[in-house]
Amino acid sequence: MRLTAPLTSAGLSAIARQAGTILVTLLGLLVLTFAIGRMMPVDPVRAIVGEEADPATYQQVYEELGMDKPVYVQFATYLGDVVRGDFGTSLRTGQPVAQDILSVMPATIELATFAILFGAGIGIPLGVWAAVRKNKPTDHVVRVVTLLGHSMPIFWTGMIGLIVFYAWLGWVGGGGRVSDFYDGMVEPRTGFLLIDSALAGDWDVFRDAVNHLVLPASILGLASLAYITRMTRSFMLDQLTQEYVTTARVKGLSKTRTIWGHAFANIRVQLVTIVALAYGGLLEGAVLIETVFSWPGFGQYMTNNMLTGDMNAVMTCVLLVGVIFITLNLLSDLLYKVFDPRTR
Amino acid sequence: MRLSARGLALAALLATTAIPAFAETPDDQLVVGFSMTNVLTLDPAAITGREPVQILANVYDGLVALDAKDRAKVDPDLAESWEVAPDGKSITFHLREGATFASGNPVTAADVVWSLTRLMQLNLAQASFLKTHGFTAENAAASFTAPDAKTVVVTLPKPVDPSVIVQTLGIVGPGSVLDSKLVLENEADGDLGADWLNTHSAGSGKFGFEGWKANDRVILSRNDDYWGEPSAMKRIIMRHIPESQNQRLMLEKGDIDIGFSLAGPDLKALSAEDGVEVISQPGSGFYYLAVSMKDERLANPKVREALRYLIDYQGINAAIMPYYGQEHQRPISTGFLGALPDPGYTLDVAKAKALLAEAGYPDGFEITLRALADAPFMSAATAIQATLAQAGIEAEIISGSGEQIYGAMRERDFELLVGRGGGGQLPHPDSNLRALVYNPDNSDAAKLTNFQGWRTSFYDPELNAAIDAALVETDPAKQKGMYEAIQERIAAVVPSIQPFSEVLDSVAYRADLEGFALNPSWGTDLGAITKAR
Repeated sequence: MRLTAPLTSAGLSAIARQAGTILVTLLGLLVLTFAIGRMMPVDPVRAIVGEEADPATYQQVYEELGMDKPVYVQFATYLGDVVRGDFGTSLRTGQPVAQDILSVMPATIELATFAILFGAGIGIPLGVWAAVRKNKPTDHVVRVVTLLGHSMPIFWTGMIGLIVFYAWLGWVGGGGRVSDFYDGMVEPRTGFLLIDSALAGDWDVFRDAVNHLVLPASILGLASLAYITRMTRSFMLDQLTQEYVTTARVKGLSKTRTIWGHAFANIRVQLVTIVALAYGGLLEGAVLIETVFSWPGFGQYMTNNMLTGDMNAVMTCVLLVGVIFITLNLLSDLLYKVFDPRTR
Repeated sequence: MRLSARGLALAALLATTAIPAFAETPDDQLVVGFSMTNVLTLDPAAITGREPVQILANVYDGLVALDAKDRAKVDPDLAESWEVAPDGKSITFHLREGATFASGNPVTAADVVWSLTRLMQLNLAQASFLKTHGFTAENAAASFTAPDAKTVVVTLPKPVDPSVIVQTLGIVGPGSVLDSKLVLENEADGDLGADWLNTHSAGSGKFGFEGWKANDRVILSRNDDYWGEPSAMKRIIMRHIPESQNQRLMLEKGDIDIGFSLAGPDLKALSAEDGVEVISQPGSGFYYLAVSMKDERLANPKVREALRYLIDYQGINAAIMPYYGQEHQRPISTGFLGALPDPGYTLDVAKAKALLAEAGYPDGFEITLRALADAPFMSAATAIQATLAQAGIEAEIISGSGEQIYGAMRERDFELLVGRGGGGQLPHPDSNLRALVYNPDNSDAAKLTNFQGWRTSFYDPELNAAIDAALVETDPAKQKGMYEAIQERIAAVVPSIQPFSEVLDSVAYRADLEGFALNPSWGTDLGAITKAR
């Protein structure tokens, strides 16, 4: 089974074409973001100097930030820096943007990963189950519940979750990644609290981190669960109506083997795409949950930069999001080749 | 369907977490929650807004400190005494013995002079307090001198009430004394340590920085070599909690000790909660209705007077403003020198209609009213819209973000506006008046965007002169009389800004805290707090 294109000139030009497409996409993203940023009514200079500043101070900072230069010069300067690996300094934190992202990204990755495990781990079996029990009461219940999960605004679900599971029941921690007195106790080797605390053998911190992760991850996962369940159900229904399913049953194959071994195997490819895209969406868009749960993640970081008008930081964030989605797309293309012999 | 291995694992995971979370803060650590979106830097010369002041007040000391209870009082801090020269042209501060920075370096007059000079040279937000009184980077060397290691002399570049300067040096930001040796060791490219101070501290206060994760938390750890009474708290953890409801839940559960950025409805609910106290006291500034006198209708004093009687002061303050503000109609804060009681304006539609008719608008007119989309601005604007309509003034509300509302005000491109401001962090009437009424140059070219008077195109040379004269008057009784006369003239002349509420600082905290004294100039001393457990 060959996964890679042969290193012939045709293969190389295919790779080059793909690389070219990626670069054009990323460049387009940056141009669009930059343009939007300049048109938005946010003023990073005002954020720094404050409401009461006099015009002289304002002008001073305006020039310090290079905003007096023409727009295309500012953009070109940014691109030039990026090519040299300098992603700029955040106006909000005074730190290099790359460093900021490295510190907030693990928090979001932890959240998104658990959310997608929850969403896919429950959503896929639920979708299969609903498809198998089509039009029976089970199916209806599943469809209604997932519709609710999809329609309820996530910040509302988040707040209700906090009120019920934190304030009333006291089962989970309330906001933040970890309780205050555990903060800083575990050395941040990877930035992932669960991994770091496990590596350090500090199980109290591990339990506390899980305690804080469970609620936001479940609520975030609920939204993708709804989507994944419905798509799985839909794909499965497609398969279950096909002749080979009836044939397999007639030939004596058990129901379980038929469903999971054959029908499900045929939708793995489509599911991979769905889950990959859902994961990408979670990585860049969990800002509402991050706000409700005071989770110091990438979504909050990027949003706050936008609200302050820190365009250099925003563009670096957008670049990262673009890279994430492109990578996920490539990965799922690759998995396509693994799962589906017909595409080889 | 059989339970998959995945399902079992998930159930096990959920089971292990169903342990009650530790729901009480430690006895010797204070946990404080507020929104840190305005905290862009921790360099005292560059901060803006109140939240950074809350943080830095516990890390840096000044020559003096503004008293939390008595707004007119200034307490000794790094300076144990000071005196004004008989000619009123300079102030001499005597530093106390034995004060050291957290680094161990001694606090010397040279550090004070360096910090003040740096403030003027960087010329960022906090420099404006002293720039108003003629201090600049160029005259800093002459204005701030250290005749010996324990004496600092501040020479005034132009006549001003010396008590204003003393108060200014008590404000966190301009008055913060930095460890010059430590900062210069970490300077880069002649930036006077601006980059390093973004994330490090160089102060002499009760605490020093242990860490700052932007939009996550700031951790302050106790300075055990503090020159005064050290704090009972070994750490203060300041957490970024942007959602007010989240702060409320955590206060109720005891996961945080103090919540600084709670919204009105949450404060109301917490005031009924056992174990939580809510404090609400006058802060800095006012909520007001502003008019642009560039508009010919609003340039007419009778129209402005009519607007004065179309605000339902009692109704707005009773229904909309609890915890945000309390009724106040004069442009000088309660408790400041010379503050007169309210003139007693009320909603009076008949009077307003008569005034409008006199001005030539018997049927009212159409106009726009800008307000921030947040509470309580939008509700106040809606209430005002309703009362304006009773006199035939149809106001269209334009809502938006700070940039859209105050930006338009800076461009002098608005008609009516509900806003908040008016100085007051410096507890002196000059701070209020200069922010709200003073305008030395009404031309477009002047671009005095830091004066609301200029933004609203209000120009009254007599008031300008009176404000300048009151600031330099040395006889206290006479000075008081001058500020009273100014308020009376304001009532007669009907300026462009009518306050209807003065800002209240409202904070909720766990009832077992003792020694919590909210400071109206934002620099609350958290190190003085103990827990009665």
